[in-house]
Amino acid sequence: MSTASRNLQTIVFVLIAVGLIALALGGYLNPFSRILLNPLIELQTWVYSRYQVAQNVLRAPQDIARLQQRNLQLEAQVSQLQAQIIELQQQLTEARILSALVDFARANPENRYQAAAVIGRDPSPFLRYILINRGSDDNIRRGMPVVTQQGLVGRIDAVTANAARVQLITDSGAVVNAKIQPSGTQAVLKGQVSGDLLLDLIPQGAPIEVGNLVLTSGLGGGYPPNIVIGQISGIRSQPQDIFQSATVQSVVDFNQLEIVLVIVNFRPVNLEPLIPQGSQP
Amino acid sequence: MAILAAFLVFIPLLMIQIGILANLPLIQGYPDLILITILAWSLRREVRTAWHWALIGALLVTWVSAMPFGVYLLAYTSVVGLALLVRRMVWRIPFLSMLVMTIIGTFVTDSISQLALQLSGRPFVIEYTFAAIFLPSVLYNFLFAIPIYALIGELARWLYPLEPLYES
Repeated sequence: MSTASRNLQTIVFVLIAVGLIALALGGYLNPFSRILLNPLIELQTWVYSRYQVAQNVLRAPQDIARLQQRNLQLEAQVSQLQAQIIELQQQLTEARILSALVDFARANPENRYQAAAVIGRDPSPFLRYILINRGSDDNIRRGMPVVTQQGLVGRIDAVTANAARVQLITDSGAVVNAKIQPSGTQAVLKGQVSGDLLLDLIPQGAPIEVGNLVLTSGLGGGYPPNIVIGQISGIRSQPQDIFQSATVQSVVDFNQLEIVLVIVNFRPVNLEPLIPQGSQP
Repeated sequence: MAILAAFLVFIPLLMIQIGILANLPLIQGYPDLILITILAWSLRREVRTAWHWALIGALLVTWVSAMPFGVYLLAYTSVVGLALLVRRMVWRIPFLSMLVMTIIGTFVTDSISQLALQLSGRPFVIEYTFAAIFLPSVLYNFLFAIPIYALIGELARWLYPLEPLYES
């Protein structure tokens, strides 16, 4: 082939190339390029997706092991944080109870209090006693009243050096001299086997109503006066009876006792020497 | 060793009973882990210290309870006496004996407790105590009788490995 012919071919190619570029830039080749490129793009997509699948298959065991390890770490961390939350919630509850007890002690400056934690309950289902973690080493003595910020709980029944047993007012052997407000009527509060409170020996005709407040009267010297016990929740009155009785809803939730206050400056009066020997059972 | 084991068994059980289970009443009934343990121990043929266990258990419970002195002593020794009688009468002690003795033991303990409290001047409502205390306590005791019987059996086998199988 001669030189002139090769030059002509080159010029023709260049012109075709320039023409195609010009057509492409002008957008005239788009339909053709779409037809040509679409299958290629589809093919490329398929090839790449297959590559990714193969890569995942090859890397999976390593990832799963790493993820499992991470999962275990996170689960351990979650457990630790949950335990921490429970502990903090417990501390918060204790702090709230103590704060309420401190407020109560400040509101009643005439008494000196010793706070004690409840550490157990009497094993017998017939008795309602609690055990507290303060004893004679903390100046706790038999007969001292036990209260919470809500009201009367009971009194100390037995003491050791570092612990004491408290008879709750709901115990069937507990008796508290009480008065009903606003009438000021005197009555006797007795614990029941069921754990309820019964206000007995209320004179017939005494003006009492459901919702009246029941407080300690202080009579008999067993408890200090004016400690809140609860509210009258029901009245039983028969015309033929000498006395009427009433059920009392205690202000203290005896199932939720955690911390109590012992009134350490109160000494119960021992009336036994004043009772004639013949009248004792 | 068996007597020392009584303290090691009873003290944690008593702590669980007064610290945890006493806060979880079923109506008004509570389980008596000490009673069940004494029963499970007494019903084992190889055991020779049933009375000792009853005495130790009763003293420990009396120490923490406000129940009049002697109530648990009388109750637990009575229950051990009955359990030993059952052990002699029944050639093999099946698990059924444990369950029957759990009912009898709970009844004996509750009856003696109730009688003692009544004598000390407390009110006595038989229908209420039967429905709200005795029946739930039996149910609760059944629940604990199964695992305690198995555990005490293992302890008895460990403490009396060479004891003969017949009753002397």
